[in-house]
Amino acid sequence: MGFVELKNIDLSYDGSKYILKDLNLTIEKGELVSLLGPSGCGKTTTLRIIAGLINPNSGSFIVDGENLTNVPVHKRNFGMVFQSYALFPHMTVFDNVAFGLKNRKMDKNTIKEKVGRILEVTDLSQFAGRFPKQMSGGQRQRVALARALVVEPKLLLLDEPLSNLDAKLRISMRTEIKRIQQKLGITTVFVTHDQEECFSISDKVAVMNNGDIEQYDTPENIYKYPSTEFVARFIGFDNFFNVEKANYHNYKDIFGHQFVIDYEDSRTQAVATIRPDDIQVVPEDSNMNSIKGIVDVRTFLGDSYQYEIKTELGKINVNHKSEKPYQQGDAVYLLMPSNKIILV
Amino acid sequence: MKLKRNTMLLLLPGTVLLILFLFLPLLSILFPTFFNEAFTIGKYVEFFKDSYNLGILWRTFKISMIVTIICVILGVPTAYFMSLTSKRTRSLLLAVTLFPLLTNSVIRSFAWITILGKNGVLNSFLLSLNIIKEPVGLLYSEFAIIIGTVYLFLPILITTVLGVLDNIDGDLIEAAQTLGANYFKSFTKVILPLCIPGILVGSMLVFTGTLTAYTTPQMLGGNKNMMLATMLYQEASALGNWTNAGVIALIMIVVTLLVMQIFNIIANQFDKRGEDENA
Ligand SMILES: Nc1ncnc2c1ncn2[C@@H]1O[C@H](COP(=O)(O)OP(=O)(O)OP(=O)(O)O)[C@@H](O)[C@H]1O
Ligand SMILES: [Mg+2]
Repeated sequence: MGFVELKNIDLSYDGSKYILKDLNLTIEKGELVSLLGPSGCGKTTTLRIIAGLINPNSGSFIVDGENLTNVPVHKRNFGMVFQSYALFPHMTVFDNVAFGLKNRKMDKNTIKEKVGRILEVTDLSQFAGRFPKQMSGGQRQRVALARALVVEPKLLLLDEPLSNLDAKLRISMRTEIKRIQQKLGITTVFVTHDQEECFSISDKVAVMNNGDIEQYDTPENIYKYPSTEFVARFIGFDNFFNVEKANYHNYKDIFGHQFVIDYEDSRTQAVATIRPDDIQVVPEDSNMNSIKGIVDVRTFLGDSYQYEIKTELGKINVNHKSEKPYQQGDAVYLLMPSNKIILV
Repeated sequence: MKLKRNTMLLLLPGTVLLILFLFLPLLSILFPTFFNEAFTIGKYVEFFKDSYNLGILWRTFKISMIVTIICVILGVPTAYFMSLTSKRTRSLLLAVTLFPLLTNSVIRSFAWITILGKNGVLNSFLLSLNIIKEPVGLLYSEFAIIIGTVYLFLPILITTVLGVLDNIDGDLIEAAQTLGANYFKSFTKVILPLCIPGILVGSMLVFTGTLTAYTTPQMLGGNKNMMLATMLYQEASALGNWTNAGVIALIMIVVTLLVMQIFNIIANQFDKRGEDENA
């Protein structure tokens, strides 16, 4: 049994349309797990159920063996960082951070000491007397983090905490979050729809689609071996086509093209897919893993060109770096390396 | 902030209107109170020497204060409750709240006369329940003035506070809850402090409104319970003594300004979010 368990969670806001359907998720102690998925797939909803801000229609939520499904928010002892940060505008940084401790009726000196320590960890000591209005976006974000962490929560919940920051700050803040999370060994759920951000900091990723978790695995495995077409598309795979197993690692598409695919799979029918970056454009045919096509659309991407190529299998997208770009109408051969094709 | 001259021009029509129709008439009323052949504050000294006048001044201040406090006590929770209800219930409640404002204040006061009078609804009710043996004189008392004025100004306080509550980010309350604050604590520590500026604005409106109210004290208070506004009217209209009326007018203005200033100071105390100091 995991440290955190969501079991058969159903949720509907209006009683008819279900946003989450039979959702299950297990998180081990100390892990940082991300919920990744397109807008509206139910990430925030899942996080709010964990926080206790909404009650699921059915299912249970267990932390450390204790059933918390019906425990109200203020008794759960979780730390949450809101997308808007939700800092109290009428309190100084110190008072914002101390708020959770005061609710726990700690004595003044302990509060002072704990707040002081967390402000140091988050590099905010010199701002203790400021009001949120007087801070930059990145600083506010750190205050929100400090406020959630200072209570030593059983669980840290982050809802797209970096989405209001500029690109550079996002990268440094996510490293920061990871550093603090590891240092304190705090079990964390991180919501994001940014794939790179998610892969860079997570121990595990739950890819969500339409209120359901499609795949739950390490970032490496998700990146290399997406288990469904949706996940594959979401992390950058493209060019889907049906193949049939001939024997071993030998496959055939419906037109009889032969493919060697290293991917281990026992099915006889599957969908093959490959990233546009992994396809090579070659001038000659080789009898394996290659198909013929005609350049249809060319787009300049900066460091490479993207081609849309008409083939028997339909349109295939290819990113290709070359000094001399192909022209529309050029006949080319597309080589798909056996170790780059995967089956979903 | 620097304003362009063009923008300042926008103030012109309003300013002209105010000078012509407010300040000039006001001056013409106040001028005689300071002038009796030579400059004198004798009229004011006279006013403050008379214990009858002081009684009325005190009553006016006291009733205004009580009405304000009652409005806050009744209005803030009501506004908070309204802010929590669904859109539909809320617009219904808002309509009910604002309804009294749609009726003329004379009619409203008549309604209270019907309720509070010797043969009124309330007395008949209490008599029929045998709670009292004889009708009690509720009408023509400070109590009647207070009830009538609270009724008059409560909607103003509720709507002002509701407006402020609506602007409080819902995430703040949820954040407070995740940090271990129960409903009561998140109300007292987060919501209340954030709407204190709104409560103060509302209180200021109620206070000055009560201080200057005429119809309600006149109709519900009777001659024994005069307030500054009713006394002013009596001096000017019944006794034709415009100089004394001017004295009272200035005293009312000064009291109003003083109280507004005090409210402002309190508001600034509570609303220190560091807006003026720049980081
Ligand atoms: N309070 C609500 N009442 C009704 N429907 C809601 C409510 N909150 C969210 N929804 C719906 O539930 C679905 C999931 O919303 P949710 O906020 O969980 O998405 P999300 O994955 O966090 O998306 P995003 O990345 O845009 O934040 C959406 O279709 C949304 O319209
Ligand atoms: Mg969301």
